[in-house]
Amino acid sequence: MRLKWLWAIWLASAVTGCGQGHLVFNVDVLSFLSGAGTMPYDLPGGVGPVDSTVSRFFPLPGGFGKSTVDNVSITGAATLFNVTGGGNVLFDVFFAKTQGALFTGTPYITASSGPVSGVDTVPLLSPTTVSPGDTVFNADSLWVGVRARITTDPPVLPHMTGQLRLTELNVRIVLNDKIF
Amino acid sequence: MRTSVIGIGLVALTVGAAAQAAGQGLTFDARRIGMGGLTLGRSASLVRYNPAYRAVADQADRRGRPRVTIPIPLGIIQFLHDHPHLSTDPAFHPDSARFNPIVAVNTLLNLPIYLEVKKAPTPTNDVVVDIGQNALRANLGLSAELVPGDELGLGGSSRPLDPGIGIKGVRVSMMGWLHDEVGLQLGDKLLGFLRDSQPATSTTAYTVNGDGILEGGVAPSIAYAGRIAGDATTGFYVGGAVHYYLGVAYARTSATGGFVTGNPIFGGPVKPSLAAVTDYSKAGNSVGHGIGGDVGVAWVSGPIELGVGVNDIGATLTWSDTRQDTLRYDTTSNTIRTTPGPNHFTTKTKLPVSYIANVAYVIGLTTLGADVLNNGRGTTIHVGGEQRLGLFALRGGVARDQRKRIEFGWGGGVRLGPLGLDVGFWTHTNSLSNERGVTMATSFSIY
Repeated sequence: MRLKWLWAIWLASAVTGCGQGHLVFNVDVLSFLSGAGTMPYDLPGGVGPVDSTVSRFFPLPGGFGKSTVDNVSITGAATLFNVTGGGNVLFDVFFAKTQGALFTGTPYITASSGPVSGVDTVPLLSPTTVSPGDTVFNADSLWVGVRARITTDPPVLPHMTGQLRLTELNVRIVLNDKIF
Repeated sequence: MRTSVIGIGLVALTVGAAAQAAGQGLTFDARRIGMGGLTLGRSASLVRYNPAYRAVADQADRRGRPRVTIPIPLGIIQFLHDHPHLSTDPAFHPDSARFNPIVAVNTLLNLPIYLEVKKAPTPTNDVVVDIGQNALRANLGLSAELVPGDELGLGGSSRPLDPGIGIKGVRVSMMGWLHDEVGLQLGDKLLGFLRDSQPATSTTAYTVNGDGILEGGVAPSIAYAGRIAGDATTGFYVGGAVHYYLGVAYARTSATGGFVTGNPIFGGPVKPSLAAVTDYSKAGNSVGHGIGGDVGVAWVSGPIELGVGVNDIGATLTWSDTRQDTLRYDTTSNTIRTTPGPNHFTTKTKLPVSYIANVAYVIGLTTLGADVLNNGRGTTIHVGGEQRLGLFALRGGVARDQRKRIEFGWGGGVRLGPLGLDVGFWTHTNSLSNERGVTMATSFSIY
């Protein structure tokens, strides 16, 4: 039903949007992750890299499957709240047409915390990426994956604990499929 | 799927044709196009809406009306050239990535009979849609101006057939009549979302309101038309008719349809919303009854001609065997449920009063004229003229269509004995645009 909903939006936009203009979707992906944007971690020292991942299925307006994506820009940000231990955290965001294809290629956006130790709060701000004509978004649905790749510093104790909290994940999709 | 698309297309073509006909008057005569839609001769409209004109002799018509007008459908040729494989043309196929809803809608709104010499420009702005789990907002930019805030309606009354016999101005006939009206209006919430870029809210109905009526039947009629003063060159004519309307069937509906957003907007299911109340009397039920009449006068005096006609005065039909059904979308079973309502009760319908007023003035080789026509769904006004210059003719005119938009016509022609070739240009605002397009009509005439 949600798919129909989105398709209806696309159709309404297509019908009312005229001329040579683009159809632009600004999607607040974070709002759809419903709690999955927070990833707690608790790892002994001296291990890694260890991946902690979350993934969500995300329906796109049905017309996307038949449209030509002009470009996609992705903006993401996260904050690392470290409590104990030390190490570094790599924050990656992936998009793929299937769940199995997630986390297999190059992440769309990535940011590193650098070395952290003890109680620390580190903003992870990745530069916005632009993917011209990305075929991943040329589909009616896709998967979104967030990965925290954690490497802890020895000794084993204390554990490196804390959480990675996703604070922003926006996708801007520009269609250019000559429908107007 | 293709069948359904073609089917929908055919229906839409019909509606589009009706809309165009209602909006500016569907005509194949380039002379008329060139005068902004004005008819200087004995048009069907004059005789249809003014019963007195049945008595006005043809020889009183000195404005060179052709016997036959043959349109040259350059628009169809152009359209078929641009779309040689219509049934598979991706521009008209919703399943195709190249489906172009704007082209499809504009084609329906402007049937490609005439050559479109200037297409109405459409806005070229981006359309931006913001989506979140509980957020939805569309910014259509300049395109938002095209979202209709007023009711979109078409229809009117017509008389497809009127066979009969006449003796000395008295005519007895069996007139077929049809009354159809459809009106659609966006609900406030949907209008605000599309036109004013208001954010959508959860658990809110976004709807379109619609109403319509379709009724038809026959009417035994007796009419009189005659000259009560003067002669063939200067005379005063009156006409009138009384109709006993027999309604075969009718249906009248008032509906609200759309959807209700989930809570959150993209978290819960979107629920269709439909509520409709329909009154109807099927063919085979007791026929509807009603009496109405037409009156008209015409005055012809040398170069001047005036006429006024009014139709379907007091035409109210009483249907004694009406049934009422209520349709509602059941969100539990996800089906449309029909609840039978009262049956065998009496309702009334009223045919719209339509009227025409016309004036024509001939001075030398110049003919000027104007008419006002209301067929029950808005008034159209035409003012125009023709100047003959030997073999040639120049024409111009202005019209106000049912949507109160001013349109312009101009053109010319050449006549060689019994044959004429005419070309006419006419602005229109039928497209999905706030600017005018220009069409060119061409036709042969046989005098």
